[in-house]
Amino acid sequence: MFIRNVSNCVISRNGVCSNLKNALYITSRRNLASNTQTMTIRDALNSALDEEIKRDDRVFVLGEEVAQYDGAYKVTKGLWKKYGDERLVDTPITEMGFAGIAVGAAFAGLRPVCEFMTFNFSMQAIDQIINSAAKTYYMSAGRVPVPIVFRGPNGAAAGVAAQHSQDFSAWFAHCPGLKVLAPYDSEDCRGLLKAAIRDDNPVVFLENEILYGTPFPVTEEVLKEDFVLPIGKAKIAKEGTDVTIVSYSRGVQLALEAHEQLKKENISAEVINLRSLRPFDFKTISDSVKKTHHLVVVEYGWPFCGIGAEICAQVVETDTFDYLDAPVLRVTGVDVPMPYAATLESNALPTTAHVVKTVKKSLNIQ
Amino acid sequence: MNFAGFSLRNLSPKIGSPGSAVIASRFASNEVTFQTRPYKLHKLDSGPASETTLTKEDALDYYRKMQVIRRMETSAGNLYKEKKIRGFCHLYTGQEACAVGMVGAMDKEDAVITAYRCHGWTYLLGSTVLEVIAELTGKISGNVYGKGGSMHMYDKNFFGGNGIVGAQQPLGAGIAFAMKYRKQKNSCFTLYGDGAANQGQLFEATNMAKLWDLPCVFICENNGFGMGTSADRASASTDYYTRGDYVPGIWVDAMDILSVREATRFAKEYCNSGKGPLMMELATYRYSGHSI
Repeated sequence: MFIRNVSNCVISRNGVCSNLKNALYITSRRNLASNTQTMTIRDALNSALDEEIKRDDRVFVLGEEVAQYDGAYKVTKGLWKKYGDERLVDTPITEMGFAGIAVGAAFAGLRPVCEFMTFNFSMQAIDQIINSAAKTYYMSAGRVPVPIVFRGPNGAAAGVAAQHSQDFSAWFAHCPGLKVLAPYDSEDCRGLLKAAIRDDNPVVFLENEILYGTPFPVTEEVLKEDFVLPIGKAKIAKEGTDVTIVSYSRGVQLALEAHEQLKKENISAEVINLRSLRPFDFKTISDSVKKTHHLVVVEYGWPFCGIGAEICAQVVETDTFDYLDAPVLRVTGVDVPMPYAATLESNALPTTAHVVKTVKKSLNIQ
Repeated sequence: MNFAGFSLRNLSPKIGSPGSAVIASRFASNEVTFQTRPYKLHKLDSGPASETTLTKEDALDYYRKMQVIRRMETSAGNLYKEKKIRGFCHLYTGQEACAVGMVGAMDKEDAVITAYRCHGWTYLLGSTVLEVIAELTGKISGNVYGKGGSMHMYDKNFFGGNGIVGAQQPLGAGIAFAMKYRKQKNSCFTLYGDGAANQGQLFEATNMAKLWDLPCVFICENNGFGMGTSADRASASTDYYTRGDYVPGIWVDAMDILSVREATRFAKEYCNSGKGPLMMELATYRYSGHSI
């Protein structure tokens, strides 16, 4: 299962241990006093897929380059060699067709994991995701469950321009019948991907390409084969008292960095990692706001009708509103198709500085 | 009664067409052998049988089923005009021989998926007439408790009832994928219309079905019209049984139920032998409009 390179496999910047010829996932041991292990997102996803394929005969992965190429982003590395053509299926570049085939296989009782090379291409298949997968359990009054997972990288990458950089969280979170997950770290990825595969509903699993190579600490508990996180429960990543910063996916990184910077200025920020967009854990946000009285939402996607907009609406519609000492503020991507030039691109996306500035605005501090 | 000397030709079973010639009949038996209507073949060396035997039991069963569907659809049309059925109501009137003929050759573990012209299929694949009409009128006694309506009815191995034109094409290939995965000796009969035959996703589905040898029978129920547009105004090629290109195809005169049954038997045997997908075009007609 694991190959632990105890001595000096220092994690390279992109998290790939290059001295490994066997294509199995790895963990790297960093010898700290507390004996913490770390694992990259890529390995977290790979290990979760490996274990779930082994556990249940009905689980299989299909998508472009998932088998013989080891995955466009190497998330499925080594799995084809281990499990073969039946469990890892390379498809032609026809999203509508293969997503439909995956949904049909789910109708008939298999448990497909359908990979989109990025979620930008899911638009080609969106009819199958929404009208065939999401709605069928309801329309069939429970006769036809659809136990499928659609997974892949979502949101801005680096320099891939407008058609390859869209964040689809708000689009999928909008639709009843789907579950929508947006993991941040390796623990999230392992626990939530396993939960998604074991769930009998269609789940959209939004990963992030930029984070694939980032290592995160993982406990022994996380590495267990039955480590599953509950869908629909947010995580309080950092406790705090002055302001609540809510985010998901890569935005949590900004929130955590802002937390550190604010700490130096004696501002105690509570950071919430949503983990799940649908079902949505509003209670965790509400409880936090009732404590801190200030709310900032951070997301990479466009502002109009985004996740932040939904959070604002839910705050205003409930008694959470009464506990606010300042309006809810959002940090989002800029409302433009993603430009190509590096300076333009970085200016179209949120940064830690934006989060810090917005928190201070909420607290009316200079 | 003594039928000696009475020409067997006069026992032609079909009105208004040359009809299938009765080959043989023994009046004391319960079986008749008919000739099937000529088929057209695409990339096949041989096609369905040119003769078929019909038992009395089957004859009465098929006749009853077709009549029930005809009457059920007529009632649905009337209920729609009385505003007891809301939304859309796509009637199968005229196409009964397609469904009944196919069901005559299928077994319980084969699967069917079709589009929205599905009331007849829903009846044939497990629901009572009451359950269909109750669904159409939004009652809890309906096939899916009134939550689906005309276009979304289901049963075991019957995957609807699909509202989006063409969506069922890859879905059907996916069901066939599951059958192959589980090494079942069954096929998924994936029905679509002449309008849906132009959908891109059909080509995506046939490509993968052929690549992976999926036991999927792609069946075009060509009733001459895609919504309000005649087939030749929508399709550069109306030879729908050839549109699978590398997927072999059969054209069937689907106004003759026995020809449909024989073609379906051929398709089942073809797919069960692992040769991959097959395409069929059932030339039929609908007597009502696209929807009422």
